[in-house]
Amino acid sequence: RVAMSIMQYNGSAVLAMKGKNCVGIASDLCFGVQGRMITTNFRKTFRMQEKLYLGLTGLATDVQTLHERLEFRLNMYKLREGREIKPSTFASVISNVLYAHRFGPYFVEPVVAGLDDTNTPFICGMDLIGAPVTPPDFVCAGSNTEALFGTCETMYRPDMEPEELFEVLSQCLLASIDRDALAGWGAVVTIITPEGSFTRTLKGRQD
Amino acid sequence: MARRYDSRTTIFSPEGRLYQVEYAMEAISHAGAAVGILATDGVVLAAEKKVISKLLESSKGAEKMYKIDHHIAAAVAGITSDANILINYARLSAQRHTLSFRELIPVEELLTHVANLKQGYTQFGGLRPFGVSFLFAGYDKHHKFQLYESDPSGNFGGWKATAIGANNQSAISILKQDYKDDITLQEALLLAMKVMSKTMDSTTLNAEKLEFATLRLVEGEVEHKIFKEKELVELIKAYQATVPGAQPDESAGLDSQNTDSSARFHPCDTRRRYSSIA
Repeated sequence: RVAMSIMQYNGSAVLAMKGKNCVGIASDLCFGVQGRMITTNFRKTFRMQEKLYLGLTGLATDVQTLHERLEFRLNMYKLREGREIKPSTFASVISNVLYAHRFGPYFVEPVVAGLDDTNTPFICGMDLIGAPVTPPDFVCAGSNTEALFGTCETMYRPDMEPEELFEVLSQCLLASIDRDALAGWGAVVTIITPEGSFTRTLKGRQD
Repeated sequence: MARRYDSRTTIFSPEGRLYQVEYAMEAISHAGAAVGILATDGVVLAAEKKVISKLLESSKGAEKMYKIDHHIAAAVAGITSDANILINYARLSAQRHTLSFRELIPVEELLTHVANLKQGYTQFGGLRPFGVSFLFAGYDKHHKFQLYESDPSGNFGGWKATAIGANNQSAISILKQDYKDDITLQEALLLAMKVMSKTMDSTTLNAEKLEFATLRLVEGEVEHKIFKEKELVELIKAYQATVPGAQPDESAGLDSQNTDSSARFHPCDTRRRYSSIA
């Protein structure tokens, strides 16, 4: 039995990057319990709208529940407003939901990636009680963010085209999860462009 | 004589009637008509817009047609502000079900939630009932395409075709004559247009005064479409092409066997037209 923080109980890695008129978001595929792998098809990125993706790291049960609750909020928004939500607004909704549970929080660290209504790239990360950051380049979350930050800082450059962005995003994530005992077993990468999006599954080290 | 039993929702009259509920239905009978028709491959909802003014800012979308969830749509007849409350309630009920069961709410279950809320206002609290009737169109795996009508009493029923709001009697009699069980969505659209043309106040069909919506399956997914003005103009043209010149008025086939007690109450102060009814 290993004593570890609740955020490390399940293990995960999510990465989002800005490119030239595009964004990318990626996650690992492992669902494990304290080092014991259970399944290898547990995506931590969710399509909320055509050009809006949500990534959730942390405790798996909260990842699932928060995704479901946010889908509720998003459906109500679309029905009442008669239009889709902007990524920045959605990030604010998440921040609000998380802070509402300030003293009994959801053990998640969300990542938002998307294109707004003028197709401007948007990425945002948050801590478990909803403090947002909107950096100009990339956002990392998961059980080994040190590794993620290291690879991103080295390999990232601004204004990458979609295919380039896909390559860099994949390599950064794969290199980092290989160094993380709790995350891995493959990855799934989504690139969102004004013309549409594509998603590819990567097979990395299967351990 | 019966006036002293008017004011409180929570009491019966000596004849066993709930006057407030009946008065709510009277309010709805002044509202713009809404018609629903169930076809083999979908459902049609059609409505007459009451509030038409050049000054009206129509950015808020439809006046009488609403989407409740991915697979359920509604048409409204009655007091708009009451309707908005109920539409919001229906939307929340649908989402709550999805949150608990990770599936789309069965249509009849949603109707039960809305109807139970309406019923509460006829029995508890001393508050007036909602002055709204709905036509709900939906699709689920249990009963495929469905059409329901819900009224202020809290009662609801499943229909093959029905109408609510102004002139609903004549609309229903036309539907009784022309509806057939194997009607297709396209035929249903034309039938709805026929019903609207016979029951609307104005003599000519005008796309500005109408709202049409359809619910159908497209590649396995439920599609809810609210017709744009251009599409309505096309539909009107298609309907008029089926009418060979002037026809004798079919509303002469009015159903005189109205056993609904809501026709027998005294009019008095319920005649005031609310501008908030649409």
